[in-house]
Amino acid sequence: MKNDNNKILLVDNEADIALAFKIGLEDSGFTVDAFNDPLEALSNFKAGFYDLLLLDIKMPNMNGIEFYQQMKEIDKRVKVCFITASEMHYYEEIGKEIFPTLGVRRLIRKPIKIDDLVKDLREELKSVNHNNNNHN
Amino acid sequence: MARRATPNTETNERTEVLSGEQNVMNTILHFLSISDRIDSCGDYKAPSLIIEVEAYKKLLLDLKTKDIKLRYITDITKDNIQYCKELLKFAKEIRHLDGIRANFSVSETEYMASATLQEEEQQHIPQVIYSNVKDLVGQQKYVFESLWNKSIPADQRFREIEDGIEAEIFEVLNNSERVSQILLDLAKSAKRELLIHLPNVKSLERLERLGVIDYTIKASQNGAIVRMICPLSAGNSRIVKKITDNAPAIKILNGNNSPYGMYIVDGEQFIRAELKEPNAERFSEAIGFAVYSNSRRSLESFRSVFDLLWNERMLNEELRRADKMQKEFINMASHELRTPTQAILSYSELLQKHPERKEEMIQAMSRNAARLQKLTDDILDVTRIESETLMLKIEPLNLNDLISNIVEDYRNQIEKNDDDVRLFYEPKTTDSDSIIVEADRARMIQVISNLLSNALKFTKKEEEGSIYVTAEEEENHGSKRQEVVVSVKDTGKGIDPEIMPRLFTKFATKSETGTGLGLFICKSIIEVHGGRIWAENNNEGTKKGAIFSFSLPLNKKQQQQQHQQYTMTSERRK
Repeated sequence: MKNDNNKILLVDNEADIALAFKIGLEDSGFTVDAFNDPLEALSNFKAGFYDLLLLDIKMPNMNGIEFYQQMKEIDKRVKVCFITASEMHYYEEIGKEIFPTLGVRRLIRKPIKIDDLVKDLREELKSVNHNNNNHN
Repeated sequence: MARRATPNTETNERTEVLSGEQNVMNTILHFLSISDRIDSCGDYKAPSLIIEVEAYKKLLLDLKTKDIKLRYITDITKDNIQYCKELLKFAKEIRHLDGIRANFSVSETEYMASATLQEEEQQHIPQVIYSNVKDLVGQQKYVFESLWNKSIPADQRFREIEDGIEAEIFEVLNNSERVSQILLDLAKSAKRELLIHLPNVKSLERLERLGVIDYTIKASQNGAIVRMICPLSAGNSRIVKKITDNAPAIKILNGNNSPYGMYIVDGEQFIRAELKEPNAERFSEAIGFAVYSNSRRSLESFRSVFDLLWNERMLNEELRRADKMQKEFINMASHELRTPTQAILSYSELLQKHPERKEEMIQAMSRNAARLQKLTDDILDVTRIESETLMLKIEPLNLNDLISNIVEDYRNQIEKNDDDVRLFYEPKTTDSDSIIVEADRARMIQVISNLLSNALKFTKKEEEGSIYVTAEEEENHGSKRQEVVVSVKDTGKGIDPEIMPRLFTKFATKSETGTGLGLFICKSIIEVHGGRIWAENNNEGTKKGAIFSFSLPLNKKQQQQQHQQYTMTSERRK
């Protein structure tokens, strides 16, 4: 059950958090590439390589939502979980309009215990991906 | 020649038309000779005729000598005002009636009227009607009283003309084409002020089509103050943009839908139109009945209605802004509180599983705990500033020493982090190496550290960045007092022009990691010390970067004492 070796791309401009999540998720058997700069993550992105993106929203240069919009152009299949320390309603408002069109279902709130984060990501990975149909 | 028209031999009542200069004059003389009260009216040309023509002027003198009470109504205009004033010397009372065209006189028993309305300049009255028929005289007396009651005292009219005030108009208009024309004329005539209240989103579009918006823009460009209340939405954003692009001084506030619109020009004229067809394309199709007026009292009341609306809209906007600021604050605070909390929480979980990375993780936890503490302090400071309970421990302070120490700490930090930044400090003092100010030590450290941290944050991203700190004594040109100006100049990317105007307000940040509180706190600290703080971009040649400066009043007395002490110690040493 534990080691399904799913590949995760993690982008969070907070270096301490990105590292902690990377260590924590790797402990649970994921393979994790972590970036602090969304632009750098974008230039290193390999289509079809990742199973899931774990994206912070409020980041310099490019926010998580813009980042994911670009990812979707390259890789329609990839799943996503957003994670934010901001007030949820702040993104729920934006989310109501943008998230469904992008096939986003999960918005995770910081702070979260690593075990709970792992649980959330596993659930998302298990879920059926409807995105392919929406975006053709 | 006299023509008897309706002879009544029994009562001696008669009505006659008399022609010829002599006949007319005789009739007038007769009329005057038997009356002791005369009510008379004449058109705007009459006063000049009476005063200018010698024969009539003589009659006036008779009137005065015989103490005949004359009440006179005429159309007092800019052109005849002097004649009217002259006339007032002979008449008991003169009143003004706009555009009066009647020329007749009536006494207790007789009636006399000019039979022709004079179109050309003439030296005499060519023809008069005379009557002493009781009923006719009675009717004419009634006509005169009616006119008298509609007219206004001459003095009031004189004042109006001399103050340049036009006659009062209060017109109810049903013809919408005429309303359009009046509105367009009003817009064209605006010189000093335009107050515009529009009833719905489509109103702007209709006014633009009519040409009123272009004239309004022109009025603002020529210096008129323009305020507009209008419901705003995406539907009229194009025209709003056109207005703000071409006439940025025009103030527009978002209003509610209203059953009428109002256009007030220069505090002198207004038009108020009912909105009958809210969705009509053309102005003339949209409006119902309208009122156009220059009545001072109506203007004042409509103006106050506008001002009330304006103030209410302003308050509304401020509340909305405050509400938005508060939401942004909560969002910022929650982000800045949860981010370090997340780091501390995660590393405390991981610490047990990864004893080999203990050192690294404890450092991360401590870094994030410090960040939490900084935020807590900042929020508490803002609360103290806003409740005006920021306490200062003021003491004489050598700013030079203080800056040197802080700069040294930062140099160590830069070295430790291996940042590619060089940090310089150059004090320019006049007589010694002390710069004495009266200040709170901890707060000064807070301000200088904040400016240095900002500079470092934006400089270390560049290659070979530099930060220059200077402290210079100078005389303030305004207050003539001696002060010290401390500047922190960096070679970073400079200040975003967009944020410049609100740089020192709360939550102004372009950085994704800042709270936007630091500079607000710095400004408050410097200002309670009697100083100023400001920022500019470095525009020297190809260099870029930001320059933050603050000034503080110098304590010259202390400084001299310190200097003397210093000299004395040095001498003693000798």
